[in-house]
Amino acid sequence: MHIPDGILPLPVTGAGYAATAATTWYSIRKIKQKEDPRQDIPKASLLTAAFFVASWIHIPMPPTSVHMVLNGLLGTLLGYYAFPAILIGLFFQAVMFGHGGLTTLGLNAMIMGLPAIIAHHIFRMRKWGSGESRRKTSVFGFLAGVVAVGISVAMFVVILLTNLPAELNVVSEKAAIFTLAIAHIPVIFIEGTITALVTTFLRRVRPGILDGV
Amino acid sequence: MCGKWRSIIAIIGILMLGSALPTEAYAHGVNIEYTSNVEIEIIARYDTGTPMAGAQVAVYTPSDPSTPWLTGVCDEEGRFSFVPDTSQPGIWDVQVRLAGHGGIIHIPIGGDAAVTDGGGGFSHLQIGLMAACVVWGTVGTALYFSRRRRT
Repeated sequence: MHIPDGILPLPVTGAGYAATAATTWYSIRKIKQKEDPRQDIPKASLLTAAFFVASWIHIPMPPTSVHMVLNGLLGTLLGYYAFPAILIGLFFQAVMFGHGGLTTLGLNAMIMGLPAIIAHHIFRMRKWGSGESRRKTSVFGFLAGVVAVGISVAMFVVILLTNLPAELNVVSEKAAIFTLAIAHIPVIFIEGTITALVTTFLRRVRPGILDGV
Repeated sequence: MCGKWRSIIAIIGILMLGSALPTEAYAHGVNIEYTSNVEIEIIARYDTGTPMAGAQVAVYTPSDPSTPWLTGVCDEEGRFSFVPDTSQPGIWDVQVRLAGHGGIIHIPIGGDAAVTDGGGGFSHLQIGLMAACVVWGTVGTALYFSRRRRT
């Protein structure tokens, strides 16, 4: 789900960088409003590593293969730290493995980072009403994981479909894009399950980790 | 008389010898023409090794890098081949694309340029080492900030 260099026109990639700059600024602003902004940096660092390695975990879905994203998990555990963490992870993935590209770094950060922030807000809904419970943590953790990857796939598809070059066989490329999107459906539910399991486990053994998010 | 017969025999002998040789070699010039077709074959695979079957290919000449000179589709093994126009020397670009994934390879054609592949990828060991370095960097960052917090 990483868009590589040379696929999209320059104005679109430029708009991606502008949106990423604005979102990064807003995220840092929100982080600075915390009582101790440095407190969650170790957690953010470790989850950046998890995100970085996740793109290596390929799941064969004939006729294609997909990989884990983990942006929902980062959003639920990190809150606004998730966006810069994903941005750094994407940069290393592009430079070292060629997953994505440097010109499309901004767009890829929006595709995976913005849904992480949305996942953070979905996970916070567990505190509504009669307070937090194990079941609510599990349900909203699952929803956060599902929605994050689902929105990422939707953004990926919309950006590609609205920027198909004229010289391509549009019908064939559209079919390939939809096939790839459908192949992500199992990943959506796998990531929802992983997010629910991790948040439920952390609530039981280290509830303090979830306090800030 | 004897000298006369000797001369006749010598002439007949020379004529017989001449008739035994391939006349074409002496009678006609040879004009051989050839055309040099350097076929370029690309193989497109994902980094998992899976061929990009059905990927769309666009070939761009050095003189017009915005309009495709040729378009086509990779076969089941991710192969696509074409014969470039050698009258247009320079760097030819070949773009491969499938479902928003793909890349561009730059192929020197003609002149003194040697045809090279688009390799340059890293081995699994190199990738593993690089990934380990990045992971260690993040773990180190986590340890550093957790230590500062405790002290």
